[in-house]
Amino acid sequence: MASPLEQFVNNVRISSASGNFRELYEMIGKSEEVLQRNTVHLNTVLETLDIQQHSLGILAVLLAKFSSPQGNDVDRSTMYQQIHDFITNCNGEQVRFGPDLYADLCHLLTDYLIEQKQPIRGIEILKKAIRKIQLFDSQLTSIHADLCQLCLLSKCMKPALEFLDTDVTGIGSELGGVNDSKHFLLYYYYGGMIYTALKNYDRALYFFEVVVTVPSMVVSHIMLEAYKKYILVSLILHGKILPTPKYTSQVVFRFLKPLSLAYLELATSQHAALKHREVFVRDKNMGLVNQVLSSMYKKNIQRLTKTFLTLSLSDVASRVQLSGPAQAESYVLNMIEEGEIYAMINQKDGMVVFLDSPEKYASPETLSILEQQMAACTKLHQYIQEMDEQIQMNPQYVKKAVGSHDEDMPATSQKSIAISTYSM
Amino acid sequence: MFEMNTAEPMQVDVPLEDNENNETECYVVDNPTLDLETYAASYTGFAKLYRLMFVADHCPSLRLEALKMAISYVMTTYNVSLYQTLHKKLAEAVATVGLPDVAVQMGSQDIPVLDSMWVESKTKKAAIKLEKLDTDLKNYKTNSIKESIRRGHDDLGDHYLDCGDLTSALKCYSRARDYCTSGKHIIMMCLNVVKVSVYLQNWAHVLNYVSKAEGTPDFNEVPGKDSNQSILTRLKCAAGLAELATKKYKSAAKHFLAASIDHCDYPELLSSNNVAVYGGLCALATFDRSELQKQVIVSSSFKLFLELEPQLRDIIFKFYESKYASCLRLLDEIRDNLLLDMYLAPHLNSLYMQIRNRALIQYFSPYLSADMHLMAAAFNRTVNALEDELMQLILDGQIQARIDSHNKILYAKDVDQRSTTFERSLAMGKEYQRRTSMLILRAALLKNHIHVKIVGREPGPQSGEAPGSSTSLAIRSYETVPL
Repeated sequence: MASPLEQFVNNVRISSASGNFRELYEMIGKSEEVLQRNTVHLNTVLETLDIQQHSLGILAVLLAKFSSPQGNDVDRSTMYQQIHDFITNCNGEQVRFGPDLYADLCHLLTDYLIEQKQPIRGIEILKKAIRKIQLFDSQLTSIHADLCQLCLLSKCMKPALEFLDTDVTGIGSELGGVNDSKHFLLYYYYGGMIYTALKNYDRALYFFEVVVTVPSMVVSHIMLEAYKKYILVSLILHGKILPTPKYTSQVVFRFLKPLSLAYLELATSQHAALKHREVFVRDKNMGLVNQVLSSMYKKNIQRLTKTFLTLSLSDVASRVQLSGPAQAESYVLNMIEEGEIYAMINQKDGMVVFLDSPEKYASPETLSILEQQMAACTKLHQYIQEMDEQIQMNPQYVKKAVGSHDEDMPATSQKSIAISTYSM
Repeated sequence: MFEMNTAEPMQVDVPLEDNENNETECYVVDNPTLDLETYAASYTGFAKLYRLMFVADHCPSLRLEALKMAISYVMTTYNVSLYQTLHKKLAEAVATVGLPDVAVQMGSQDIPVLDSMWVESKTKKAAIKLEKLDTDLKNYKTNSIKESIRRGHDDLGDHYLDCGDLTSALKCYSRARDYCTSGKHIIMMCLNVVKVSVYLQNWAHVLNYVSKAEGTPDFNEVPGKDSNQSILTRLKCAAGLAELATKKYKSAAKHFLAASIDHCDYPELLSSNNVAVYGGLCALATFDRSELQKQVIVSSSFKLFLELEPQLRDIIFKFYESKYASCLRLLDEIRDNLLLDMYLAPHLNSLYMQIRNRALIQYFSPYLSADMHLMAAAFNRTVNALEDELMQLILDGQIQARIDSHNKILYAKDVDQRSTTFERSLAMGKEYQRRTSMLILRAALLKNHIHVKIVGREPGPQSGEAPGSSTSLAIRSYETVPL
């Protein structure tokens, strides 16, 4: 065994025994090159280390082993098993000192599985991996994006939902800082796609909006694609393009809008779907575009319910620009069955009678929904208050707030955001 | 030579019966019954020229007459360039008409010919006068007597205005500002600037200077109550025009309603008839019933204005008496004449639309259910057209009703307050949760300094390109999967 490697093993042992993980992490960063150069011997190194006691060391070795460009095929075949073992058995607390290494390992695994076209195998491991590294449930890590990607690829969406449904309140350190925003954007982009696939458009729109509003200096392709889908989902859900919030960065208006003209046109004319068919097909958004079209008919029919008590089917067809009474009838029928409108069809006269919503908000179920909603709001409110208190206790903030009043703008800006929500 | 005093040009009194020839006969747009001579007589200066030109542009049957009048008027000024343009237009008009019927009856010999002698002498005279005024101003400046400098600037402005150089005129008038010594001077300056700005259609400027004039400290102490009133009326008229031009019909109406008939002498901008029409139409389009009654119908000052426009008075009264059919018919009758008004024409359609909608809303307001056949008869419409109109109003939330298309009956909507409250509070709660969680996420985002940037400088995984640009291709390959 080469001497630098021996030294590495010794260092790992000593630091792990004394609990000096921070130093160990720094040391690993420096010895990366040594490990990369001696890939042949890495298996031997692994055998000398204990998975529980020397998790961080093993992590480094595994990473070096699988990321080395000259790694041969034999190595790869054991990769899945080794990473699986590591993630199941490693010491979470220790690994948290090197979250970026941990995440990189997961990224490697993901890439490998995608290459092997076996994405479904990774879902369970990654779920475990996320739970291990998370400090709390609502913390976002860069592994989230991998999980969503695997779920999408394997067309198995449900496993990702337990993560997607939790609103993120904290972000793992490996996502921020000097690292780029790729995984953050990807998580919300993939998440939005998963929700779109499950037809939870409300939530999908929220996810795409997050992507679009990330502060940015340059155009990201993820952002562009998300913006396109944002437009489509917004059209499906609301029948119009919702304006993005004020804090959306200028990039969106300056670059994204001109790049997605075909989509913007869809809002104003239905012919745009045919006219820009090529663009939509190239962007692989044709399915969504078709949904937009059918939802526009539905929206128009819903508008009719607001203005009419009775209307003949042929009038429905002409007002909504459907081909004829038969098509109108099928649309109305479907919508009645899905509970999107309340109406009755009188086939004898060819009339539709629109009714009011039977919901009277008097049943115990409605009240319990109301209560749940209120509880959720209160919880959020409390959380905001906690955030506010944290900021108020932040020494830097206190110093600025008490000190010169002219310069406290940046520190208070976050607080003022918090305050502005109370008044909503 | 023609000497123009700044604000008060000598001018015949505004004739009371200006558009009296609005006979009930129907006419096409090409054939309005407008007496051009009386119409033109109510204006002076640029207002007259512009209005005549507008008529000439939009009404072929009056084109020759209008151009001739404009030319004979422009001969009294130094405005050589406008004189030439008018002649060019006249030549075109004569050519297109092809002389036979229209020109013959007027006598083709009284079509004026381009007088190049006049052009030359006028240009020369204008130059001489300009030079004189310039040297005068310089002299005043060396003597630094404020009052004289102000006058010098004003005179220069007047001269530029006379020559048709509006921008220079505006500059001169504004320069006088630094030499104003009393509130009265400031107001005079503001009036001058307002006038030129209206000609230039710079509406923001107009409003700006109107408020400046109104804010002048001794605005209310200007000697002579009468002159004060007349200044106030002028300011109100100018402000009304500006608001009208910027589509703020309600405030336009308020400004016009504040004008006073006895002091409405502003032929450089508009006639009292204009005030009546503009104010009346804007009020009709934007005021609700009680406002209309209080501020228009029983208003003693505006009543006098309405006397000038008996047809409009009838329209307003008919509207108030809920006789919508005749009201709308009358409106249609005066439409062609109004279309020849340069300030009103661009807004006529939307004003008419608003008046119509208001009529529909008022018609239905006392009913629980209304027969659409009767309603259609009351509004001179077919039932189907009415249905479309009503649908739009319902969608805009202006009428709380629903249409029974089968029986053609309009029913007032019975709004269940309790349900809507529940519905809205649930929606609000959802919105709150959505926004708040977005906010928390954003706070976390900022705390971690996540933003899209070029990662080339750091030794990142992909160097030199925006994050994600390499991955997006990979995404696309299975993008369609969920659909």
